[in-house]
This record gives sequence, C-alpha cells and structure tokens, in this order.
Amino acid sequence: MTTLSITINGHAHAPTEVRDDLSMNDFLREYLGMTGTKFGCGAAQCLSCAVIVDEPDGTSHTSPTCVVSAASFHGKAIRTVEGHARNGELSPLQKAFIAHFSFQCGYCTAGFLNEGQVLLERLARAPVPRAGLEELIAEALDGHLCRCTGYIKYHEAVRDVILTDATRYLIQEQRG
Amino acid sequence: MDTSRREFMKWVSAGGITLSLSRLAMAEPIAFPERATLPGHGKWNPAVGAAGRVDGVAKVTGSKLYASDFRASDLPGWPARTSHALLVRAPDATHVYLGMDLARLSGALRPTVIVTAADLAEINTRVPAFYEGDLFCPVGRTPLYLGQPVALLIFEQFDAYDRARLLLRDGTFVQFGEETGAVEMPNYAAFRFTRVAGATPDAADAYSPILAGWVSPGRVQSTALPVWSSLAQRSDASYKEAAVHGDRIRAEITASEASDLVLNRTFDTQSVDPMFLEPECGLGWYSRQTKALELVLGVQSPYEAAEAVAYLFGEAKAPFKPGNINAQFAYVGGGFGGRDHTPFVLYVALASMFFPDRPVRLAHDRYQQFQGGIKRHAINMKSRISVDRATGKIKAFAADHVLDGGGLANFSPNVATVAATAAIGIYDVPKVDVTTVATHTRGVTAGSMRGYGTLQTMTALEVLIDEVATALPLDPIDLRRRNALKPDGRTMTGNPYAVSVRTTEILDKLETHPIWQQRAVEKASAPNDVLVGTGVACVTKDYGTGGDCSNGRVELSPDGRIAIYCDHVEMGNGIGTALANRVAVHLGGIADEVSVSRVDVFDALELVTSGDSYTMDQKTQDKAEKNPRWVPAISSATSASIGAHVGTHAAAEAARVIFRFGLWPAALALWGVAPRDPRARDWDKVQWADGQLTVPGLPPLPLATLAATVHARNLVSGAMAHGFSRWAWSRARFPIDGEQYSAEIDGLAVRRGAGKFRRINRVSVLFPPTSNNRIGTVYTSMCGTAVRVEIEKATGALRIAKAYSVFECGQALVPEVVLGQAQGGFAMGVSYALLETLPPFEDGPGNGQWNLGQYLVARGSDLPLRDIEIEILPPLTPDEAPKGMAEVVMIPVVPALLNAIHDAIGHRFSALPVTQVMLKGVLA
Repeated sequence: MTTLSITINGHAHAPTEVRDDLSMNDFLREYLGMTGTKFGCGAAQCLSCAVIVDEPDGTSHTSPTCVVSAASFHGKAIRTVEGHARNGELSPLQKAFIAHFSFQCGYCTAGFLNEGQVLLERLARAPVPRAGLEELIAEALDGHLCRCTGYIKYHEAVRDVILTDATRYLIQEQRG
Repeated sequence: MDTSRREFMKWVSAGGITLSLSRLAMAEPIAFPERATLPGHGKWNPAVGAAGRVDGVAKVTGSKLYASDFRASDLPGWPARTSHALLVRAPDATHVYLGMDLARLSGALRPTVIVTAADLAEINTRVPAFYEGDLFCPVGRTPLYLGQPVALLIFEQFDAYDRARLLLRDGTFVQFGEETGAVEMPNYAAFRFTRVAGATPDAADAYSPILAGWVSPGRVQSTALPVWSSLAQRSDASYKEAAVHGDRIRAEITASEASDLVLNRTFDTQSVDPMFLEPECGLGWYSRQTKALELVLGVQSPYEAAEAVAYLFGEAKAPFKPGNINAQFAYVGGGFGGRDHTPFVLYVALASMFFPDRPVRLAHDRYQQFQGGIKRHAINMKSRISVDRATGKIKAFAADHVLDGGGLANFSPNVATVAATAAIGIYDVPKVDVTTVATHTRGVTAGSMRGYGTLQTMTALEVLIDEVATALPLDPIDLRRRNALKPDGRTMTGNPYAVSVRTTEILDKLETHPIWQQRAVEKASAPNDVLVGTGVACVTKDYGTGGDCSNGRVELSPDGRIAIYCDHVEMGNGIGTALANRVAVHLGGIADEVSVSRVDVFDALELVTSGDSYTMDQKTQDKAEKNPRWVPAISSATSASIGAHVGTHAAAEAARVIFRFGLWPAALALWGVAPRDPRARDWDKVQWADGQLTVPGLPPLPLATLAATVHARNLVSGAMAHGFSRWAWSRARFPIDGEQYSAEIDGLAVRRGAGKFRRINRVSVLFPPTSNNRIGTVYTSMCGTAVRVEIEKATGALRIAKAYSVFECGQALVPEVVLGQAQGGFAMGVSYALLETLPPFEDGPGNGQWNLGQYLVARGSDLPLRDIEIEILPPLTPDEAPKGMAEVVMIPVVPALLNAIHDAIGHRFSALPVTQVMLKGVLA
C-alpha cells in the first residue's frame, strides 16, 4: 500500500491509502468518482484516459492513466477534463471543440482536450513558425484514437485556437 | 435527476413484470449558461451558422453522460456502494468445458457470488429468441462459440474485483477436457434473390422477389451449406421457381459467346470489431423489498433491451422474478451497430438479481470487449458477371455469399439479406441471381455494424466493375454511367427506389474532379521509388429497416421556450442537434431543451402493438388497425444512418401540429384576421425570419408573443406523435378543431395551454401494406469516392495522397455533423481496407487476448487530413426530406482504395485488408 497525496485541478486531495497495483484510472474513476477521464483500452493505445501532468518546472505533459499506477502519481499535480473551465467559462480549446463540431460520441474528447491544451501551453512558452504548425499538431494528437470523426475537426479546432491568438503561439515573421 | 417528476412509460410484459423506461439525466448538471449548450440559440438558421451541439458543453467538461460513468452513489435513492461483476468467457470452443479453477483467488479475493448455467436452470430463466443459445455454457458441454460466457463472478468490494480480474487475465483458469471439435448447429438463414427483367425497360418483370416473395431452400441434413439447385428434393415450389430462373441465368453466363466478357471472381472480407471507444457497461440494483430491478444501460436499442430483460425473468422462480423493471438509458460512447441488440444487458440484469440489495456494475475491459462484443461478418463471395463488349452493358450477374455468423444468430439473417440485395450496387442488371447463407461457426458472434453486409458485397462488386473496365477496355466512370440504375429503374427485389437517385450526378462529379483528371499526369511524374495509382468507386446504401418507429414530443411554453423529446439514442450522430433544427423549421426557434433516449414520455399516446411487423399478413394488420391505439411497432433501435430520416420525423410532425393549431390561430388573432378571411388558410405561405413569423402584408410576430397568445387562448401548445415506416410512413387523419388533419403519423396527443396531453383518436389510418416486407429497400443514398495513393516500391508503405468523396443526403439537418460523419466514415473505410482484421477462431478475439496495439485502427497519421475533400450535394428541392448518410459514406472508400492500388501496382487483391506486408510481397 502507498499513501497517495495528489493535487487534481488545483485541489490538494487528502492522503489516501491505495494498493500499489491500483491504476490511476481506477483511482480517478472508482475512488474519486471523476469519470470525465475515460477508460478505453487499458493498454495505453487509445489515450482516452490521458491526463495532464504539471511538472514543478512549469512544463506539462500528458500521461495515460490506464496502465500507470496511482502510486506513481504521489506528490504530483494533474489536470483532468473537469478542470479546464474556470468559473463557468469554458477554455478557448473547449469552445473551439464545440464550435468545430470536433467530436461526435465524445468519449475520446477528454484525451484530445488534454493533449491539445498541453500543446497550446508548450507553444505559449516556445512559439514556433507557422510553417511547422500542421506537423506539430499532427504529431501531438496522433497518439489519440477517435472512431467517430476522422480527426479532421479536432485538428481544425486546435489550429483555430492557435491562429486566433497567433502572437501568443507563433513566431511572428519579420517583414521585409 | 428528480425521480418524483419522472414520467415513466409503463407496460406489462408477457411475464407479468411491469416495465418502465426513462432517460438517465446527467448526475452532475453543468451550471453553464444555456446559450452555450444549444446550437445557435437565439439565432435563425442554425443549420448553417451552427455554434455547436446540444451535448457540446457536457462532453467537453467531462460530465457524467455514459453508462460507464455512473456508480450507485450517483443515483438518487440507490444504496451508496457499488459492487462489481466479472463476466468469465470461454477461450476454447472445441473441448468440453469442465469448470473454473479459482484457487488463485484466495481469502478476500474470493468472489461473493458465482453465477453459472446451473443457477439459471435452477431459477428457470428464459433466453429471448433473438439470443437463442445458452447464456452460460454448462459444465460438461463444449462451448457454442469462442467467448461464450461460463460464469459471472460478483465481488462486493472494488479492490477484490480489481485484483481478481488481473489474476484471471490469462484465462487459463477456465478448464477444458476432452476434444470434441466445434459444436455443429444449423445455418442461421439462407435466401435466394432472383430477378428476371421484362423484355424492355418498361415491361413488367418476368420474375422478382416482389412478385413471388422471398424464397429459401429446403434444408438437407447431410450438407453443411444449402443445396441451391432447382433439382434439390427438399425445396418447396416457390423456391424451385426462383431456382429455375436462377439456374438459367447462371447457365446463360456460362454459355456466353465471345461478344460477351465474362468474369468469375472470388472476394473475401475479414471480421472486424466496431471498436467503439467505450467498452460495454451497465449498472443494476435489485431491491428484494420493493421487487424492483433498476438498470442503467447504454445501448442503441433501449426498448428491445428492456423487453429482453423482462422476458429473461418472466417465468423465473421467486425471489428471482422482479415485480417491475426500471431501465434508464445513458449516452453511448460509440456504437456503429455493435450496441444494437447486444446480449450484454442480460448479464447486467443477471448480476443484479443474483446479488440482491447491492448495486452491481458489470463492465467489459477492452480484452473482454474484443472477446465478447458483436463483430462484423466475414463474407466469402463468388461472383459471376457477363458484360456485352460492344455496349459495355451488364447482361447478368450471379453470386454466392457465405457469411460467418459466429456463435449466435443475432442479426445474421438480416445482414445476409441486406448484403445480397446490395450485391448489384448502383447498377441496372436485367438478370440477377444471388444466393446467401449465414452460417453458425465457433467464432465470436457477428451482428450489426455500420454498413452491414453492403460494405462487403459492394466492395467486391466495385472491384469487379473496375476489372471489367480494364478488360473491355472502357473508362471506369463511363462503364459505371452506362450501367447506372435510373431513378425509375428496378432494384434486385423488383421495386424502384422511393427517393432521389443521383448516381449520374455523382459520377459526373468524380469524373471532373482533379484527382481523376490528373491521374495520368500524376502516375507519369511519380518518383522512381514510388508507384502512384488512382481509383474510384460509387455505391448506394439503404437506410431504414422496413420497420422503423419514431416517437417525438414537442412543447412550447408561454414565453416561447421549446422542449423536444425523442426516443432515439444519441450515438454521437448529433440527433439532438438535428431535432432542434428540424423543429425550428416549424416553430421558428431553437429548442431550449432537447432530450433523447426518451421512451418514458409518450404515455398519453396509449399505444398498443401485437405481432411482428416484419412477418404479419395484411389481414392481421387490417384487423388490428381498427383499434385506434394500435401500431405495428412502438419503438425501434437507433442507427446513425436513420437519425435524420426516422429519429427526427415524429418531433417534426409534432411541431407541425403545434404550428397549425397553436401558433397559426394565435397569429390570426393577433393580426385580426377573421377565420373566414381567405388569408386564414395561408399557413403554408409563412416564413420565419429572425425568430419572427412573417407573412407578406402583415406585421411580423415574435415567437414569444405568439406563444403567450397560444397559452392565453388555450390553443395547442404541445404535441406528441408516433410514426411507423415500412418503406413508407404510416398516414392518418385526426379530428382537431373541426378539421380532419392528415399527416404521416399514426398516433397523436396534444396539450392545450398548460393542460395535460390528451390522445386524439385517429379516424382513418393507412399503414404501409405488409407486402412491403418483400422490398429490399426503397430508401437509399449514393456516394462516390476518388483516391490517389502512393506506394513505396521498396517497403510497400502506402500513403493516401488525395481523396474526394461526394454524396447526397437530401436536406442536411446539421451540415457540420454530416461532414463530420463523412470524415469519420472515410477514416473507418481506410481502416477496414488497410489495417483492421481479426483472425477467425482460436487465434482471434475469442481467445480473450486481443487489444489495441495488436488490433490496428486508423490514426490521424494514416489519413490525408489536409487532403480529404468532402462534397455534400445540395438537396434537389428545398423541402427534400433528409436521407440517411452515416453508413454510405464509408463504403466507396474501400473499393476506391483497392482500385487505386491496382492502378499503382497492377495487382488486384481479392481479400481484405491489404496490408503493407502484402503490398511489399507483391512488389518484391
């Protein structure tokens, strides 16, 4: 057994005794009732279970939760789909997913949302040239499976958020 | 969720159990502004300027929506703690099942309850006919199929369940003894579809299924497959007549002269998994005190699921017979047909009954979903075609289909017939003879999956047509155009379509598209290490089942707010949004509440049914319809392709009633137009603009003003309607406000002002004739695809460089959703053609060891995301009804890819999928 202390969506959860072989997915869904994070394959192949892990250095990355133990998240801060909106206001990426009809059944949406958000934050820290943007989006989202949509509208939504706030996410080309 | 306010649809099943169904509300309502949850709220024409889906906010905020999201603690009135069940399945179907060795589950890991075949026999459960076969394999017998359940293990605590499922992962604890070979069972269905056209296109058919009925050969015990010959002794006269015509067609093909091109080809398709992302899941709780069985399910066929559970326990011994069953239905995380008539719900119910007073959750993991979930049929197809070399016209087509139905019948008979009747695709073929048989095998059960049957047979056909074009030689699109069925032409069953047939228009689009126009240039300019090829295909796909029901209810509040309720399930196809848009056409505003999966809000219709709408005779229907409450069926399963056509129909008709008998008389009153004024009958001249009702020469009226007047004058403010389609909608007349109102519905109830809904007895009804059951389909949509592929000579790696799909769907209710479904269909088509496959039998998913990783599904990097062009043809007329499109968009992608591969490398593959390894092998 491990005593798990974790911060989820900015809230520090009281230390909890968990089995060493309990998956993070089951900790979220069965222990905490946070079912926004989905279970798809249990083999880290579809990433519908992915959450955002915030590192102390200010960087973030996604992690599957289905094959990763809850205990390995001890002391970490994570974000889930339930934590993107603030004070009843959806994040720009959430709004873009809706506006672009990015999802259909929506079961993969949490994973795409987290992955897209990590990409946005990465670009905000280190903008890239417009020319490399498409490849970057494709690489970022490629691990995520969607069976309904054909992916196009997810990519469009992420691109739209970036281009709408281009000065934040892209290196501005020098004129002349 | 406020249980006290729910209105349940209730009826008593044959077993004396009261059934009630309702929609499962979100357990955690999101407090976002309403405008964010609805499409284009406050704006006109949302179908064009849509701002999202009705379920959009819930889905991007992680609200509890799906059956797998709910635990007992989320549900008011339920005990707080959830127990968990594990469904154990047999990884072997050629040896005698001996039982389970659960020694590895010691101490706290031991299951609290174990349910086996012996327990079911003890309490006297019944298996619904659709799922015929043992629910659990009894000890001492060989499993009927790989993945057949052998037991339910129920654990009181999650941790015990969680550890046990890991310990049991390898399946070796399920023990087997003597080898018996696979269990032999009769075929699920065998049919022969034969048509001989008249001497001229206008002449009546000499023979067709419409004229003579559908025929099936007699069964010969000594043969595994049917004996199709007209000389077979055990066949009845109707079969022999078809067989004589069919045998003659085949003889003519065989005896064709040199002036005809004749090709005999075999094509094999593979078994695949729907791979919806949410594995099947359900939650149940049986209270011994109240004798109520509560269920939370996520299926495409809620009505059927509830009835199946009621039948299961209808004759069960006390205390295993519930007094009533309340089934609540959640959103589904993908379906694609695989959640339509799934036996999974029976096991959820069993787990609940065998662990009373404790809520029990049964959830597949992905291994179990592969092992036990419904699959697509693998089909072996032998096709023969004769074509006049001079004209390029198809003279005759014959085919023999053998479907692997797996362990249980499920939808195999339906898939076999749909596959067979689609075998000539878009073409006008004067002589056709197709036999089909769905076999039982020890594989995992096959059933419904997107484009079922037609995907397989039209892929084989479109590859064959491409080969004909090469052999004649003739341009592939020109060949298709010469043979395309005209709008008034007859299908294989002998009936014309009842909807638009725009094949030629689609072929023209394909022909003029740059992908097709530049195919020679692209091929010639390919780099030395790459082979380039271009392919096309064009198909038509039925939508509807010939027994489709639509229930819709619309309410208008005094301040102009609109609420819609519908019995169809949201599968991601955006039916909620489509409902809002279709109702807005009549009521001028976007709904403030759209509620789907509702079979609980139509009590006022007081509908009754009897018999089987697919098999009843006309006399029976004529007698039954004298009861004004009788309909051929009350509710039917949801599929994405009928969401627009069927799912929204009744709500649209209900909205039309509110307009005619609520908003319109209110408008006349506000305008001061007297009832006898000729303008009082101008209801069909109105237009809605910016939320206001407009008629030339009269002041515009806002919806809110009209709604207030409707309520103040006690006019019709709500309507609920039922419709039934057997390849045509039922039509009835209803007396309303001194008028005989006629509409394509067969049940109607209205509410006046703030009053209660009251049923209006129809005064006449015209149900579609039962002879329509001989029709293959009259509803169909067309789609064409052109693709260009690039294949590396050294590695066989294939890249789709460009793709274009063009299709028609009548009025697109939500164009963004239609586009998304087409893009998704393209991805699923690519995946089916190039990646996905499940081996049959012991190496396949029934062994319990399959998961993603081993099973490949198309990812973004497998698709030309920036180079897929989708074109939706505009409707032929502004009022053309919506047509199903969710299935057809997947189909041409597959043969177009195969034809492009042939164009690139000069080799025709005759089996799916075509993998990189295969391509490399051919290129070596």
